[in-house]
Amino acid sequence: MNASAPVHSPRPKARWSRKERRYFWLGLAFASPWIVGFLAFTVYPFFGSLYLSLTEYDLFSTPRWVGLQNYEHILQDDRFYTSLGNTFFMAFVSVPITLVASLLIAVVLNFKARGINYYRTIFYLPSVIPIVASALLWTWMLNPDFGLVNMALRALGLPDPAWLLDPRYTKPSLILMSLWGSGAGALIFLAALQGVPKQYYEAAQVDGAGAWHRFWKITLPALSPIILFQLIMGLIGAFQIFTESYILAGGKADGGSLGGPEQSLLFYAVNLYQEAFVFLKMGYASALAWILFIIVLLMTLLLLKTSGRWVYYGGE
Amino acid sequence: MKKKTWFGLWYLLLSIMIAGCSGGSGGTAEPGKTSGEEPDQPAAADAVELSFWYGWTGPEAEALEKLIAKWNEAHPEIQVKGLSQSDYQKQLTAITGGNPPDVASQFGQNVVPWGLRGAMMPLDDYIAKDGVDLDDFVPAALSTSQHEGATYAIPTAMHVSMLFYNKDILKEAGYDGPPETLGELKEYIKALSIVEDGGRLSRLGLWPGMDAYTFSYAYGGSFYDEAAKQVTPDHEGIQSAIKLSKEIWDQYGSDNLDRFSSGLGQYMSAQNPFFSGKYAMTVDGEWLPTFIKQFAPDLNYGIAPIPYDENHPERKNPGNVTTSVFYIPKGAKHPDASWAFIKWMTEPEQMAEFTAAIGNLPTRTSAFASPLYENVPGFKEFLDYSASENLKSFPATSFTNEYMTEFSAQVDAILRGTVSIEDGLANVKEKIQPLVK
Repeated sequence: MNASAPVHSPRPKARWSRKERRYFWLGLAFASPWIVGFLAFTVYPFFGSLYLSLTEYDLFSTPRWVGLQNYEHILQDDRFYTSLGNTFFMAFVSVPITLVASLLIAVVLNFKARGINYYRTIFYLPSVIPIVASALLWTWMLNPDFGLVNMALRALGLPDPAWLLDPRYTKPSLILMSLWGSGAGALIFLAALQGVPKQYYEAAQVDGAGAWHRFWKITLPALSPIILFQLIMGLIGAFQIFTESYILAGGKADGGSLGGPEQSLLFYAVNLYQEAFVFLKMGYASALAWILFIIVLLMTLLLLKTSGRWVYYGGE
Repeated sequence: MKKKTWFGLWYLLLSIMIAGCSGGSGGTAEPGKTSGEEPDQPAAADAVELSFWYGWTGPEAEALEKLIAKWNEAHPEIQVKGLSQSDYQKQLTAITGGNPPDVASQFGQNVVPWGLRGAMMPLDDYIAKDGVDLDDFVPAALSTSQHEGATYAIPTAMHVSMLFYNKDILKEAGYDGPPETLGELKEYIKALSIVEDGGRLSRLGLWPGMDAYTFSYAYGGSFYDEAAKQVTPDHEGIQSAIKLSKEIWDQYGSDNLDRFSSGLGQYMSAQNPFFSGKYAMTVDGEWLPTFIKQFAPDLNYGIAPIPYDENHPERKNPGNVTTSVFYIPKGAKHPDASWAFIKWMTEPEQMAEFTAAIGNLPTRTSAFASPLYENVPGFKEFLDYSASENLKSFPATSFTNEYMTEFSAQVDAILRGTVSIEDGLANVKEKIQPLVK
């Protein structure tokens, strides 16, 4: 694919006047720092990794051309399937849950109550903390014997799992963590909520629509572009999840034990990191990265394709 | 399609591209060049300046810096500048970027994988030229740096595990000494563990997921058949070691073990399960006595050899050796000077000074007798043990890291009962054998 968007000029191309041409070059000159950076740090690595994915490359010797061998190998690699399964779980279970949670938080934070600004701040705070720090904090929260989460569960007479040690509960632990950080998404929803024109609600009320109806028929459609955006960004994020697993599954400097109990936290990016920087298989890791790219691209296109049915843009 | 949607689509594509590319980038390497500061000592005008990246931090780094200062004092023509750099990936990026440090430290398990790929300079010519006596090194430690006759690094420190036991708990259970054979070990673990009603554990004789490498060697196991070029994760000795772990594991079950272990304190604290009496015994390295002195000075404990197979007394005192090494990265600008520094650092006197300060074992037998170790807790036992004939280390090959990773993952699955011993080890073989070149 190429990175130059087709230009749909608003009018048939007339010859540029001198002034226009000057402005064009001037604009390019102003944008050039970004353009240079984009070419050097995005476009070049992008195609560089495409080339490397067709080679055997260990970082130190010259890459050796092997054609599609890396891609064939991926299809027989059980670690690839394990990591893909774990990642899909996060994408299709964690992302929707977090999305719904942040939407609900946003609706609540949209009420005009006293001190609402403080609540908004508090909900957003977790997003300010670096992932590494919050992951470490959660290892404490989720400690089965003296962690806060299990203390609460026990007080309610509910089962108290060994969160981060039991392979069945490691991914749910991460979902809990991401719920805690859903304030960032809530903030975006909140901004969108406040942009919904009041008269819609007033009109609906006059027609006798209840609160539930108003939410379902007005709020959600009005928010749908934002939901689409959050969904796509959430998916992209889920496919790249790395830090939480690296911290929680005891990442060591020697890359010793990644992946957690029974490889339940071996995510796609974690596996890729290990292949690249521990096993020194840069070519293979590049191929893995391309497969990831294709998967994310397909998902995104699929979402965009179906979005026409449920996303409403104002003014269309 | 509307214009706006087009724009949105391209915008998204671009953001995915950017996102897709940003994964796994290792950050930029810092140049191995040192800043133009004046060194503390009067250096010769045309002095060579070496950059030395090491992974130690805190007090351990201070001990190393002391030695570096000593070297600089004695060698005005070669000035070494140390940099504590515990992110080992940085070394990779620096070597690849053609701007490596002149000397660096590494884990032993990375030496041969990196060395065979050309990231580490072979040192054999230097060793021969300067007559470094390789026979002085503990064989299992040296072999972590060697492959098919080439030496890629000099091991400067080594680690080996022994059995620690809580004397009070053993006495209470009627034992007056540690278990000596593997059969006794099983019996001790059963007798020393306390299971409450409902299966909850309140004390464990020994954590069943013990070091699979150490116990594989105890049963005479071997991971690689050099002659046949075959990986042998299914070796009888390895199977026996995993069977032992599995047997103990199944006595208590995953659920109870997870619950028990999750309530255990931090390793480096007074709540370390062995210090607090939650473990009656533990298998751990030579640094543990120093921690005990620091966190639990009143602990009444003993250090014993790893139990041996009663049918094979010739396999007494087994152990698994891991190392820390110094090496010259490929592309270092002054390899002769780098070598001179490494050679000096790994001479018995300097080695003893450094390892005694950081509580690691030396790799040279001539350093064992150094008086510097007299004040290091537990070192008498560990130094004696280091002379054992039955110490082994994981075979150093180009695929060491893949092998160890896969082996650990399968052992974990075996213990948790998701795969049988035979199938788990067969999986390792199937995955790793194709990597043998």
